[in-house]
Amino acid sequence: MTKLRNVAIVGFAQMPIIAHDPHRTAQEMLYPVVRAALAQCGVERDAIDYQTAGSADYIDGRPFGFVAALDVMGTWPPRQDSHLEMDAAFAAHYAWIRMQAGECDTALVVGYGKVSEGQPERILNLQLDPYYLAPLGLGPLSTAALQASAYMARSGATDRDLAEIAARNRAAGARNPDAQVRTPASADELQGTPWAIEPLRQGYVPPIGESAVCLLLAAEGKAESMCKRPVWIGGVEQRAEMQTLGARDLTHSASTQLATERALAMAGVGKAADVDLIEMMATNPIEEMIVREAMALPARGDTKPVINPSGGPITGHPLMMTGLIRLGEAFRQLSGGADGRAVPNARRAIVHAAQGHCLQQNVVFVLGSERRWS
Amino acid sequence: MHEPPKEPVKYVEANLYLPYRYVAGDYRARFFAAMKRKKFLGSRCSKTGKVFVSPLVNSPESFAPATEFVELEGRGIVTTFCIVNIPVIGRDLQLPYVAASVALDGADISIFGAVQECQPENVHMGMRVEAVWKPDGERTGSFDDVLYFKPTGEPDAPPESYINRL
Repeated sequence: MTKLRNVAIVGFAQMPIIAHDPHRTAQEMLYPVVRAALAQCGVERDAIDYQTAGSADYIDGRPFGFVAALDVMGTWPPRQDSHLEMDAAFAAHYAWIRMQAGECDTALVVGYGKVSEGQPERILNLQLDPYYLAPLGLGPLSTAALQASAYMARSGATDRDLAEIAARNRAAGARNPDAQVRTPASADELQGTPWAIEPLRQGYVPPIGESAVCLLLAAEGKAESMCKRPVWIGGVEQRAEMQTLGARDLTHSASTQLATERALAMAGVGKAADVDLIEMMATNPIEEMIVREAMALPARGDTKPVINPSGGPITGHPLMMTGLIRLGEAFRQLSGGADGRAVPNARRAIVHAAQGHCLQQNVVFVLGSERRWS
Repeated sequence: MHEPPKEPVKYVEANLYLPYRYVAGDYRARFFAAMKRKKFLGSRCSKTGKVFVSPLVNSPESFAPATEFVELEGRGIVTTFCIVNIPVIGRDLQLPYVAASVALDGADISIFGAVQECQPENVHMGMRVEAVWKPDGERTGSFDDVLYFKPTGEPDAPPESYINRL
């Protein structure tokens, strides 16, 4: 593998995920989070070369809505800036690329959105093609249910399997002060909840949530002074699949599999089972099983690595931020900031984030407490 | 070779329905509440002392928080302006009208508003203007509470008093 630039996560701040903040705009939610991340690193805004954001204009409810975040990101004097209409984890990948190109040494990555101001199921329906699929009224929950039926038929996974995965995430989420759903629930209880869209029960899927998130990246040479225990990006890869749902095998995530293989190879890690924990953007138990399979891990049951010690997206899914929170959670685990949910002696992690219906686009990071390249 | 259909479908209707309910936000809610009292609310940068109207949570320039609120009267200076001769979506104003940037006394950035009760050709930079409000009892706590600005008749402000607020 070609020698690349060592880049680390050096700071992360997040507003605890809530259903609806009636008092604050997305900007008012984001500003204190950006300041908190900078304060963690002991730097002012001028220390950061590059800024990038992940958000969705349709969630903001206005075209070019992302410009409203510029004021609270500290866009003066004029900054290098970009915006992705994707989960902010993809923006973090983009910032990493900019660092590899040598264009910046430090980067601020934010995710934000007042998800509760609009109707996410209607908005995400518009991700589908406007001729054949969107007019059917399919939202992400209904396409997830289609994927769930297909996966259960292929794999033999049962309603009980789904309930047990959801229960494991709920137990973990109860230990995470930033999670939205913080009450544990047993598999029996969750299996007793009504259908959301069959075969997905209400207890298996997250409520609508909103937050504001900021992650700081720094290259070797800068990272060490900004963070006692920087978390180094050893490998990263992003892959997308076609939009047409009917053309995809919904029971597998080919893009996650390829991205994982390549990110592991870049990081010099043999297999996913070799890391200590995985934070994956599985927004329901079926996605967790599909992503686990794509990472060549058993679809069910306890594993080493620990999966979603944060409680995962099932306990908090603020759109456009859920993936970046996975990066932040893995950073907390590897840098000693995971408190009551810490995985003992965690030194390596995989982070997965997804975008689009049924895991259409996936990015995989391999993180470690040691530098990849010497 | 396939022949094209005799009556091809040329268009597909795609009507979007996306309702939103924006929160006013902490600062904006305070700004609107002040309008009801015929005041413009600003916030002061904790680092540079600059006052932003409408109030901002932080200075976009210094990035410091702006947590102190400042109430301003609706009097100020026309900085830049233009004379509008085309109808504008959503506004029922008699043409031509003047859209102006107004630097309120005590503020370090300008706000925008219409200038009326004078001929458009008489509007100029440095002209002193004041806000004309909806009558008492009709203000609802919204940006519509200020109808427009009108000249005060005071002498023009010298350029150096507003050159940094253009």
